[in-house]
Amino acid sequence: MDWIIALLAGAVTGVLSAWGIGGGSLLILFMTGVQGMEQPLSQGINLLYFLPTSLTALVSHLKNRLIDKKLALYAIAAGTVTTAGAALLATGLDTQVVRKIFGGFVIVIGVMELFRKCEKTCRTPSEGTKDTPPE
Amino acid sequence: MLSDKTKSALAGAAAGIVNGFFGAGGGMVLVPLLIGWIKMDQRKAFASSVFIILPLCAVSAVVYLLRTEFDFLRALPYLMGGLVGGFIGGKIFGKIPTALLHRLFGILLIIGGVRSILC
Repeated sequence: MDWIIALLAGAVTGVLSAWGIGGGSLLILFMTGVQGMEQPLSQGINLLYFLPTSLTALVSHLKNRLIDKKLALYAIAAGTVTTAGAALLATGLDTQVVRKIFGGFVIVIGVMELFRKCEKTCRTPSEGTKDTPPE
Repeated sequence: MLSDKTKSALAGAAAGIVNGFFGAGGGMVLVPLLIGWIKMDQRKAFASSVFIILPLCAVSAVVYLLRTEFDFLRALPYLMGGLVGGFIGGKIFGKIPTALLHRLFGILLIIGGVRSILC
């Protein structure tokens, strides 16, 4: 039964992610809060889960030439260094501490989502690619 | 005045910190920065953020796999569900208004966040 619930939770948050709504943070909350999973394991699962999902999205974005590769490379270069450091830090800290900091983070994101102006920022990449024929 | 390259590097660094520490949310930091700070077109910002976040996720995932007790059997149903959900979400995109979903998402995050802090 747990297996089916996990499959459904992954599917629902997968749909949300495809619509540009951050399903990952919700999935982590589900894994820790409902399924009683440890914070580092749920974070690791979410990271792994993003890889194949985003690869499929990237193919369409690359086809539509929607990626600013030159600028993106600067972000990737700096980001890979900081993300490795942050991941090392998070996996070295007490899991309860990480969970509480994560709680604070999602509350901030939640408040932002609750009060965001949707007409400007609720669009998603797939919506954009549908609107625009390939160049 | 910072150049776009420097701004992009700083935005990527910020997204990296969030991605690595929380295992999620890098895009939520990156997209507003690309749009608001670098003045990137919205569609390009979304697409570029996926392009940027993907390698960051790969790096973080390796760290988590090596440094935590990773249980592939427990991860499997979520990964499979995510693939199916992502596919379905892409297919039925645009047929369901997402504005209300964003509000609902916000409320769920707040409830879950409070529980994470208290429990």
